[in-house]
Amino acid sequence: MVSITPSFQSEPRLHDAARMALPHIFEVTWPDPSKLGADSKSAALLLNEARETFASHLGIRTDEIHFLGEPNLGFHLGLSGLMSSQRRLVYSNIDRMEVFAVAEGHTSEMLEVDPNGQINFPELMKDDVLALQLCNRETGTIQNGRPKSPDLLAGLFVDATASGTRIKLPANWSTALWDSTAWGGPSGLGVFAVSKSANWSNPLPHLDGRINPGPASLALIVASALAIDSWVADEKNLAAKIAAINSEIRSYISSNIPDSDLAPGGADHLISASFLYVNAEQLVTKLADKGYPVDSGSACSSINMQPSHVLAALGVLTQGNIRLTIHHAITFEEVKEFLEVLSQTVSELRDK
Amino acid sequence: MILDCLGKRCPLPIIELAKALADKPIGFTLTLLSDDPASQPDLIAWSRMTGNSVETSGANTFQITKLAN
Repeated sequence: MVSITPSFQSEPRLHDAARMALPHIFEVTWPDPSKLGADSKSAALLLNEARETFASHLGIRTDEIHFLGEPNLGFHLGLSGLMSSQRRLVYSNIDRMEVFAVAEGHTSEMLEVDPNGQINFPELMKDDVLALQLCNRETGTIQNGRPKSPDLLAGLFVDATASGTRIKLPANWSTALWDSTAWGGPSGLGVFAVSKSANWSNPLPHLDGRINPGPASLALIVASALAIDSWVADEKNLAAKIAAINSEIRSYISSNIPDSDLAPGGADHLISASFLYVNAEQLVTKLADKGYPVDSGSACSSINMQPSHVLAALGVLTQGNIRLTIHHAITFEEVKEFLEVLSQTVSELRDK
Repeated sequence: MILDCLGKRCPLPIIELAKALADKPIGFTLTLLSDDPASQPDLIAWSRMTGNSVETSGANTFQITKLAN
């Protein structure tokens, strides 16, 4: 089904390059690439090609890559594998909840971001393990702050799940995590990397050198490699359009919708906007009814009835919040139509 | 004046607060009671956006001063 109105939810449509190749991919990825025989050998070749593709786009070595069938397991692998009883986990109050969950089990220090989402790093010590989020998936906040002496750290975990290929890995990284959906690849696949120079040990029960029980689906790995290749090329061509659409949306909201609060910007494909005196659950439902699915960070639209910790940390209004992801395929006309619907819906809800 | 919004979910406490202040003069103060988890961050944002003053004076208790129309 192809919808006529665009989705602003975070999940991108599976990239055509992956979607069209899938039937063929499933025909050739059934063998176990680690076994003997011609079919297995072809499968092993596909796996190696995929590794090389990821290595070149993500700026890592092929032998540093591990594939995860459960992407968010990478937060535990990446952080807990760097920790020990002497070490302290340092993270920020706009990190993912998965990072908060790991921090619960260790000595830890939570840093507070400024209203622009930036960390003013304190002096870190040699027993500190730092979780660094390159881009926030809710607001698009890009973290420009870096520790003063990153080479002194016991470990540096990089959360690249929202930035994908848009932001380079910082020097001195120890572990890093990407989500295949960041480049229009299939969901259910994480790319996890452990640097050859990292002091990392596997926090999961294990007997051999494998990092996770695995194996991740070879079909999804190959499909994701096709997606990343095409996505990076698309991004080069479309980055200017996405940036222009971002500023169109931001300026429309701030000049046409009164009592609106935009989270500070960052990555061009993400916008978070809140509207005073508006119930987010009603706003999200009405927008979806009118053909525009969006995400929200408001308490009334979350499962645990808690407002987004990211919005609260940034001091952005949490009520009446919508989160927009600007996907590659969107057009200016679609955005203009959406903005009119948004403005109309916000005033309808306020008048009730 | 005490505005009791205990048990009410966002955005109701802030909507009721705005209604309560609408016809009041500058300098008017009231005590807002709200136990909604979004009230703490949202009152701070509301204060920044509207120019009114908010001070937390206890558990689920906020002192509001009208400073702008």
